Amino acid sequence: MGNSRQLFANHFFTKADVYFHSGYYPSVFDQAIGGAPHITAAKDAAAETDAEHGREQSEEAGFLGPPRDWIDRFSRNFYPSRHSHLDRPGEAREILPWLRIAADLDPHKVETYTVAAYWLREHLNRVDEAEQLLREGWRANPDSYEILFELGRVFDENRHDSQRARNVWELALGKWRQRSARNGEPDDFVLEQILTRLAQLEEREGHWEKALSYLEKLEAVSPKPEAIQQQINDLKKKVVSAPPANRSGAQQTGKP
Amino acid sequence: MPAQAVTTAKLPGMKPILKIEDLVVEYRTREFGQRVTVAVNRLSLEVFPGEVFGFLGPNGAGKTTTVNVLLGFVPVTRGAAYIFNVNVRDPIARQRIGYLPELTYYYKFLTAEELLRFYARIFRIPRAEIGPRIDEVLKLVGLDTARKRPIKTYSKGMQQRIGLAQALINEPDLLILDEPTSGLDPIGRMNVREMIQRLKSKGKTVFFSSHELGEVETVCDRVAILHQGELKATGRVSDLVEKYKCNLEQAFLKVIGYEPGHE
Amino acid sequence: MNNALSVASIVIKELYRRKDFYVLFVLTAIITLLMGSLHFFNDDRIVRYLKEICLLLIWISALAIAVGTSARQIPAERENRTIFPLLAKPITRGQLIAGKFLGCWLACGLALIVFYFFFGVISVSREHQWAAASFFQALWLHWWMLGVVVAMTLLGSVVFAAPSSNGTICLLIILSILLLGRHLNKVAVQLAEPMSGVVSAVYFAVPHLELFDVRDLVVHNWDPINWLICVGATLYAAAYAIFFLFATWLVFRRQLVLRWQPGCSPGTRVGRAAALSPIACWAS
Repeated sequence: MGNSRQLFANHFFTKADVYFHSGYYPSVFDQAIGGAPHITAAKDAAAETDAEHGREQSEEAGFLGPPRDWIDRFSRNFYPSRHSHLDRPGEAREILPWLRIAADLDPHKVETYTVAAYWLREHLNRVDEAEQLLREGWRANPDSYEILFELGRVFDENRHDSQRARNVWELALGKWRQRSARNGEPDDFVLEQILTRLAQLEEREGHWEKALSYLEKLEAVSPKPEAIQQQINDLKKKVVSAPPANRSGAQQTGKP
Repeated sequence: MPAQAVTTAKLPGMKPILKIEDLVVEYRTREFGQRVTVAVNRLSLEVFPGEVFGFLGPNGAGKTTTVNVLLGFVPVTRGAAYIFNVNVRDPIARQRIGYLPELTYYYKFLTAEELLRFYARIFRIPRAEIGPRIDEVLKLVGLDTARKRPIKTYSKGMQQRIGLAQALINEPDLLILDEPTSGLDPIGRMNVREMIQRLKSKGKTVFFSSHELGEVETVCDRVAILHQGELKATGRVSDLVEKYKCNLEQAFLKVIGYEPGHE
Repeated sequence: MNNALSVASIVIKELYRRKDFYVLFVLTAIITLLMGSLHFFNDDRIVRYLKEICLLLIWISALAIAVGTSARQIPAERENRTIFPLLAKPITRGQLIAGKFLGCWLACGLALIVFYFFFGVISVSREHQWAAASFFQALWLHWWMLGVVVAMTLLGSVVFAAPSSNGTICLLIILSILLLGRHLNKVAVQLAEPMSGVVSAVYFAVPHLELFDVRDLVVHNWDPINWLICVGATLYAAAYAIFFLFATWLVFRRQLVLRWQPGCSPGTRVGRAAALSPIACWAS
């Protein structure tokens, strides 16, 4: 039963993605024949840049390819054959039932919680529900730094509670270290995001030394270290040019 | 063995209403080698208007096969059959006949009235005439009070009566009854016999297959005896009895070559 | 036509007097309402999942009704011996086939109207808007698809003796077409000859029932299909339905109505093979 629950959970998670694209989605046959253009799950939309999304769109638009015969050409009138996203206000709510069902079927699929929470708070203004879902996910997956990272975003971006955001992100960092030490395969993508957020938060709070420390760690894992180095340099300049009173503030630690 | 014609009822100038000419019906199995079984072999007979004609034979004699040929259910191998001078292969040949099959079940979800209306429409009876016609036949078979009840609630006798009613819905000139009293209790049999007599008195022609010799003797003008697909005798019941100096049952057994103690 | 319509009226009466339709409708309604009563993240404006579930149930129910009703028509006539008094009347076998088809198809149409009305009520109550054109196209195309299904199943019912085996085989074929039909050309490309040719031949030969499945367009509120395309699909379905009906008639006109009954025929030497065959034998 366990495996089938996971299979169904994966199916419903994909279903949410299908809904996000208004039914325009490649089948396994399309993927097999067309070099399997990957349609990223909704979660990744949170991290991707406009340029990245543009690239994804052009890949998706082409998964059907030109019609192979008259039946293929004719049949394209009867199913969604144009790329589309749920981007009208509130439309994103339509993906939620499948994510809820996926979470119920497989509570250990962390991605379900993070994706659902992202859409709830970012596009549907349902911060309470997002927080509740993430807490539920955290209970089921106490070692998940991904959920903690997302929860930190709720506190930081929606609750504007820097203290709690810092707490959960630092906790996420700890969990990340534990898991990386255990697995030996560090998930640098999430680490990068945690460090970026922490650095931004500390900089915003005026804890420049702390921010610099996070940026230096980020430089080590970032795929674009030059950009991070630039940020470090900018921050250092800011520290130097700041009035002494503020500079002393930079010595404070951000620990709760 | 050629059929023993006792007498014919053919009247000068009268055309047969039903005519079978040198009919052969064979069927082949789907087994390897395709064995052929002859169900009816060179059968010829005629039935004239106003007659009650009994078609006799033991089980497996070919009676039902012959009836099925007349109704177009079975293709003929050789020969031909005509009803009202129309080859039975043509569906229009069945416009003026009524058929009562042996032990038939009708659409159980319909009421008697709906069933008769359905068949009346197939006969293209004008809409205005359907209602009175249904009333008439239901009264005739004594099902008037049960006309609104679904057929699934009918007893066996009632089912046989609704069978008769459907056979009469088009006021047929020829009625083909296949073992009409089969499975009925004595009262039911008597009712069917009375019905046949009543139809005869109305000038209808009745062709009925049976192995119930008692009722054949009671109601039939002429009979034909079939055995192993071949016609063994045909003629008036009285002539047959006279020829064999015995009752119809014994005459029948003699015709088919049955000797007690020898199967 | 009169005879065919008379037969059709009996088939329709049968459908609404049997429990199948009511059971399927009640099940569809209960499951949809149950799913509709769920509130995901306290948002009561979520509707597409409900539309999808309702349409899926409608499709399953409609297929069950179409295949179930058509598969048993001619075998049941034989089994209950109602075919004898019927064919003893001035009705041709072609008219009987046409009547059975019309009856099953119209009965499916009536059932679809009830189901889609329910679907309409559910979607309007949630969405507060009614995409009438898409809704009508979905119903129309669905009905024509069932026309092909009914004709195909009727053909099966004169080829296979048992309604259950016919129903199962037809359902398997229909579901395979619905799920794989669209992709057979892609599969063919990946295969080596001669399999590629065989799959391609199947792709071009089978009726593409999946064309008529516009659920995704309705669920995700896409624009209606071009009406000319809709007409094309209707003609496509009509062509296949006529082809299957013609094939049914060709098989049925050569079939004996009766089955051989063991021990009743003279000089019986007919084996089990013949007893099982709907074609070879009749009662004597």
